[in-house]
Amino acid sequence: MTETSTPTPMPTGSRLSLMIDMERCIGCKSCEAACKSEHGLGPGEYRNKVVWLSDPTKPSLDFLTLACQHCERPACVRACTVTPKAIEKDPVTGVVRVLEDRCTGCGECVIACPYGAMGYDAADHHAVKCDLCADRRAEGKTSACASVCPGKAITLGPRDDHLAHAAAEGRAVLDHDGFALGPGTVYLKRLKDDAADLGGQQSPKVMEHVTPPPGPEDTAFPYRLKREDRTPDEVRPGGCNICFNACTTKFHFKKGKLTRVIGNDEDPILQGRVCPKSQVSLQLYNHEGRLTRPLKRVGPRGAGRLVPISWDQALDEIAAKLTALRDAHGPETLGIYAGTRTGIISKRGYLKLWAEMWGTPNLADTETFCSLNKTLMFEAVLGALGSGNSFTDTDLGSAGMYVYFGDNQGETRPVHFGMINDWRIRNKARLVVVDPRLTVTASKADTWLPIRSGTDLALAFAIAHHIFRQDLHDKRFCETWVQGWEMWRDSLYAQGYSPEWAEPITGIPADQIKQLAEDMARADGCVIFGCRGINQHTNGGQTNRALMFLAAITGNWGRKGGTYFNTSTPVPVNVVTPKHRKAAINRPAIRANAVGWTEAMTRGEPYPLKALITCNNPMAMWPNQSAIREAFMHMDLIVHMDLFENETSKYADYVLPVATGIEKGEIGRANEDRKVVWIDKMIDPPGEAKDDGWIWIELGKRFGFDDVLKEDYKDTALFWDEMCLTDPQMKGITQKRLHSVPWRWVRYPVATEDTTETETLYLEGTTAHGAPEGHRFPTPSGKLEFWSEKQAARFEAIGLSPLPQFYSEAEQLVDLPYLQAYDEDAEPGMVSPFHKTPTGTMPGRITQPGDASPGRRLRAQGFDTELVSGRPPAPHFHSWTHYSWQSQEMWPDLYVQIHPDKAREKGIEDGGRVRIETSHGAIEARAWLHAGIRPTSVFVPIGWGEHQPFNPWRPVNFLTDNRQRDPISDNSNLKTYLCRVTRVE
Amino acid sequence: MTLWHHAGMSSPSLNRPAGETLSDTGLVASLAAGALAVVAFFAVRPWLPAAFKAPGTPVMQAAAILAALLFLVPVLFAVNKRTGAAGRSPRWFSAHVGAATLGAVLAAIHSTGNLDDPPVLLLLAIAGLVVTGAVARVYLSRDMAGTFGTKRNAFRAPDEGTRAELRRLIEEKQALLKTLDPDAIEATFSVTLRHFLSSPCRAAAYKKLQRRESRLMGARASVGAAQAWWRPLHIALGWLFVLGLLIHILTVTFFAGYVADGREIYWWHITAW
Repeated sequence: MTETSTPTPMPTGSRLSLMIDMERCIGCKSCEAACKSEHGLGPGEYRNKVVWLSDPTKPSLDFLTLACQHCERPACVRACTVTPKAIEKDPVTGVVRVLEDRCTGCGECVIACPYGAMGYDAADHHAVKCDLCADRRAEGKTSACASVCPGKAITLGPRDDHLAHAAAEGRAVLDHDGFALGPGTVYLKRLKDDAADLGGQQSPKVMEHVTPPPGPEDTAFPYRLKREDRTPDEVRPGGCNICFNACTTKFHFKKGKLTRVIGNDEDPILQGRVCPKSQVSLQLYNHEGRLTRPLKRVGPRGAGRLVPISWDQALDEIAAKLTALRDAHGPETLGIYAGTRTGIISKRGYLKLWAEMWGTPNLADTETFCSLNKTLMFEAVLGALGSGNSFTDTDLGSAGMYVYFGDNQGETRPVHFGMINDWRIRNKARLVVVDPRLTVTASKADTWLPIRSGTDLALAFAIAHHIFRQDLHDKRFCETWVQGWEMWRDSLYAQGYSPEWAEPITGIPADQIKQLAEDMARADGCVIFGCRGINQHTNGGQTNRALMFLAAITGNWGRKGGTYFNTSTPVPVNVVTPKHRKAAINRPAIRANAVGWTEAMTRGEPYPLKALITCNNPMAMWPNQSAIREAFMHMDLIVHMDLFENETSKYADYVLPVATGIEKGEIGRANEDRKVVWIDKMIDPPGEAKDDGWIWIELGKRFGFDDVLKEDYKDTALFWDEMCLTDPQMKGITQKRLHSVPWRWVRYPVATEDTTETETLYLEGTTAHGAPEGHRFPTPSGKLEFWSEKQAARFEAIGLSPLPQFYSEAEQLVDLPYLQAYDEDAEPGMVSPFHKTPTGTMPGRITQPGDASPGRRLRAQGFDTELVSGRPPAPHFHSWTHYSWQSQEMWPDLYVQIHPDKAREKGIEDGGRVRIETSHGAIEARAWLHAGIRPTSVFVPIGWGEHQPFNPWRPVNFLTDNRQRDPISDNSNLKTYLCRVTRVE
Repeated sequence: MTLWHHAGMSSPSLNRPAGETLSDTGLVASLAAGALAVVAFFAVRPWLPAAFKAPGTPVMQAAAILAALLFLVPVLFAVNKRTGAAGRSPRWFSAHVGAATLGAVLAAIHSTGNLDDPPVLLLLAIAGLVVTGAVARVYLSRDMAGTFGTKRNAFRAPDEGTRAELRRLIEEKQALLKTLDPDAIEATFSVTLRHFLSSPCRAAAYKKLQRRESRLMGARASVGAAQAWWRPLHIALGWLFVLGLLIHILTVTFFAGYVADGREIYWWHITAW
C-alpha cells in the first residue's frame, strides 16, 4: 500500500452524503451561517454556500446549496501536491477531508475541484472543506447545516438511503457527474419539469463584492478560534428578538462568553429550525463597534461631533431640557418613537408608563410603517388582533391551498415559510403567490401572479365577485357566521368589480383570476397570507379587510388549515398606569405615524413638537428623508437610543447606548401564531450600555415617577410578572410557566398558569376567549362583521365607504382612483375614529384621476417606472444585520431589481451602478437583472444606510413620501411610487 | 462504532498547530526587512572598504556561498513536499520563505550592483520568485477563497462526449497504474517523486494522463489566469534559478578565465579555464 492509496474499497451502502432537496431549499443561507459557526470559519472561508441562480430570459429563481461532493474519485485529493497528502478520503464513509497540519496552501485543490466546493482560509493559508461535520457525527448528531435548515432541505445519511428515498417519493435526482468523479451529494430536482435546469442560469452580480469583502480583520470573537475554545460549558434556551418568526434558540457560552446562537432542537414545533439572522446575532452581541458610553453633541446638529459623558450627566441634562420645554410648550411637545429594536416589554411597558406619567400622547412606533391597518381591521372584522391558527402539522399544515398576497414569507420569515413549503410538498397542496416580483416565496409557487403594486384590493374584489357569481361561497358559514356578507356581495355586483374589470388594473388576466377564485373556493382549507405588500399602502386597511372577507366567504375562518394570516400579531402586553398617576393630556396626538409630526417639528403646526426621544434610527426608516432631516434641524432636543452610532446619532443631542436580547431580558417579537417567547437576560451589555427599562426608570426618577417605575423593575422578569400580564389572555404566561418548558414559549390565550394552550381558535362550537357564551368570534355580534352601523360611521367619518371601494396609490403608471387627503399634517385634522387614544388624522376622498392628478403629472415628467420597496433576503433585517460581517458577506450592496428588458432599454448591466429617482429624492444602487419582476417595475430593499461599516448606501426612504398615508391607521405608502432609473457612468 | 459515529481517520488532528502559519504580515515584514537591508547596504557601500565593492572578494564570495546554502532550503522544501521525508510541510514552507528571503538579500549584496553581466538574470529570477510568491500568498489567496461556489459548469447537463472520454482516460490510468504502483487506487492517486525516481517513464506517462484529465475538466480554465498559473510559473522560475545558480557556481569556479574575459581573476576558483 502506498501513502496515496486508500486501504480498502468502501463497503457497499456505507457511503455518507448529503441529500439536498432543491424544492425545499429556500435560499436563506441558514446552513452557511451554521457551518461557519460550527467550524469557526471567518470571512471568506466556506465549507458550504447557497448560490442563487436565475435564468436571464425567463422568470426563475433556483438555489444551489453547494458543499463538498465527497466524490468517489476526488479531484482535490489527486491534485494535492503534498506527500503524504493533505486531503484524505475515509475508506468507510467516503468522507473527504483536509488535514490542515499538512496543507501548505498552494491552492491546487481549489483549482482542481470542478464543483467549486473547495474552500480556502486566506489568513492561515490552507484548504478548508466540508467533512460532513465529523465532530458532530462523533457525538451522534447530524450536520450543522441540516440541523438548522428551515425547509428541512438538507439530510445527512447513507447515500443509498437517499437514493431509496428519492425513488420512493418519485423524485428525480440531478445528474451532475459530467466529469466522472462520482459526486456523492444527492440533489433532488425541482418538481416542475422545466425547473432546476442549472445550465445557463446566472448568479446575480450583486452577490459579488465590488468593494473589498469583509476580511479577517472584521472577525470578532469567537470566529476562527479552535473548537476547544468554542465548545460550550453552558447552554441556555431563549429566543431570537430580531424578526416576527420569533424563533426559539439556544445560546452557547464558554467561560461566560457567548460563543454561538443556534436553533432550539427541543422546541416541539420548530425542532431547531432557525434562520441566519438568529445565528449572526452572535456578531451583534460581540461587536466591537457597539455604543458603550452616553455621548453628547458638541458640534452643529448633523455634523456628528459627539463626546462621551457619564450617565448621570446625560440623564440630568436631558431631564433639565425636557422640563424647560414642557414649561414652554406643554408636555405634548415631546414625541417618543419606539422602534423595532426597542422590544415589546420596553415599548408597551416602561416607555408607556413613562409617557403616560409625563403626559404626551405623541408616542409612535413602527406599526404605522408596517402593520397597524391590518391590526385595526382584524379588530373590526374579528374582534381580535389576528388569526387564531397555528403553524402546526394539524392546523396550517393541513391546508389544501396557500395563497400569498404581498407576502414574501420565504425571505422575511424563512422558518415559517420553510414549514409551509414542506407541508405543501408533502400534502401536494397548491401554492399561489401574488406579488410584483418572483420572490423566493413565488419561486416555489405553482402559480405566480405578477400584480401591479397597490392593486391587490381590486384582485380581492374580483376573486370574491367570481366566487359569488359562481355560487361557490360557503353558504352555511356565511349565513351562520358572517354579518353583512350579502351587503358586500351586492356592493361588488353594483360596482362591477368583476375579473374583467380587474384585469387592466391588476395586470392579471381575467381567466387567471377566475381560476384562482375557483381554486380558493374549492380547496379543502385555504390559508390566505397578507403582509407588508398589502399593509404599506394608503388602501392597506381596506385591502386587509377585503382579504379577511374573502377568507370568510370561503369558510376559511375558525377552522384548521384555513384562515387569513397577516404577520406580527401584537402580543397583548398592556401595562396599566395607575389612574392617579396619569398626567392630563390636553391635546390629541398630532398623528399616529411619526412622519406626520414633520410639520409640528418644522413649523410648530398644529402645535410645536420640540423634543424627540427616538429608540431607533429614523434617518433610515422614515419615509421622505429629505423632509425628515430638514425637520430634525428644527428640534430643540433629540435623544437617540441605539446599539450603534448611525445617521440619527449625528442629529442627536444625546446618544444613549442600549442593550438588546439576552443583554436585557425580553420577549421575542410579535409572533405570527400567538407564541410568547421568553428571552432571559444572560449577559451584560457592552461597556456602560443599559437596557431601555433601566433608562426609563432612571429618567423617571428625575421626574418623581419612581413610585410606578420602581427600581425593582430593572429586573425585566419581575416587571413581566408584576406589570405585563394584565390582559386576561396573558394571565397564565408567567415566568414560572415560561421557564417550565425547555423551549421557553407559551401560546396565548391562557387564563391561568394551568390552562391548556389552544392550537386553533374560533372552531365551530367554541366560545371565543373572554366573549359571552356562544360567541364563536369575539365581536359584539359573535359573528365576523363585514358591516355594522358603528363601523359604517367610522369609515364614513374619514371619507371612506362603509364597505370597501377600490382605490389605489396616487403614483401609478395607469390612471387609477386614488386617495386625496383633505388636510395637511400642519392642520389639526380630525380625531381618528379608529385609534384608542385621541389621535389626529387626515380624512380623505377617493379621487378619480384627472389632468392634475399626481400620476399623470409625474408620467409627463418622465417618471416611467413603478418603484416597489421591501425587505431584502433572509440574512438581513432592517439595519440590524448591516453590522454583521456575515450578513454583509452574503448580501453586500443595496440593489435595484430590474427586468432585463428595461435594463437593456436603459443600457444598464447586471451589477452596474444605477440611479433611481422619484419626485421625492434620489439614490443609487447596483442593478440586479431579474426576469422575475414586472417589466414596468423595479424593486429596492430597505435597511441600508449611509454610515454603515461595510457597504454604505443612501436608504431607499429618500425615494418615498411622508404624506401618502392610509386614513384608517395612518400607515405610510412605502410600496408604490413612480420613478425613473438611469445608468450611472 | 456505528457508521454514523465513524468520524475519525488517520490523522489525530484536523487543525493546524498554532504558530505553524507564516502570516501575511510576517511575510510582508520579512520581505520589507530584506528590501531595506539591500537598500541600506547600497546606501552605505561608498563608505565601505574595498572588500564590499566587488562580487568576488572573499567577503562577498562568503556571502554568495551562504546565499547558495540558504537557497538549498527551498529546494529541500520542494523535495520534502513531494516525499514527506522530513516532517510537516507547513513548517518547511515557512522555512523556504525565510531562507529564500535571506538568500536573496545576500545575493543582491553579493552582486554589488553589477547589472551588466549574465548573473543579473539570477537576480531577475529571484525578483520573479519573490513577486509570484508574495502576490499569490497575500492577494491571490483571497481569490482562492473566493472561488468557492463560482464554478457551475459541473452542474450543467453532462456532456456525454466529455464524460465518455474521461471514462476511457480513467481506464488508461488504471491500466498504467497497475505497473506503476500496483497497490494504489486511481481515484486518489497522483504521481510523486518516488515514482519518478523508480519508474520515470511510466511516471511521466501517468503525469501526462493526469494533465489531460485536468484539461478535459477545465480545471485551470475555471479560475482566473493569475490564480491558475502563478504556481507553475513560480516553480518554473525556481528551477530555472537553481539551474542558473549551478551554472554560475560552475563557471566562476571552474571557468574563471572565461568569466574574467581578460580581466583580473581576483576571486577564489579552482580552475581558470
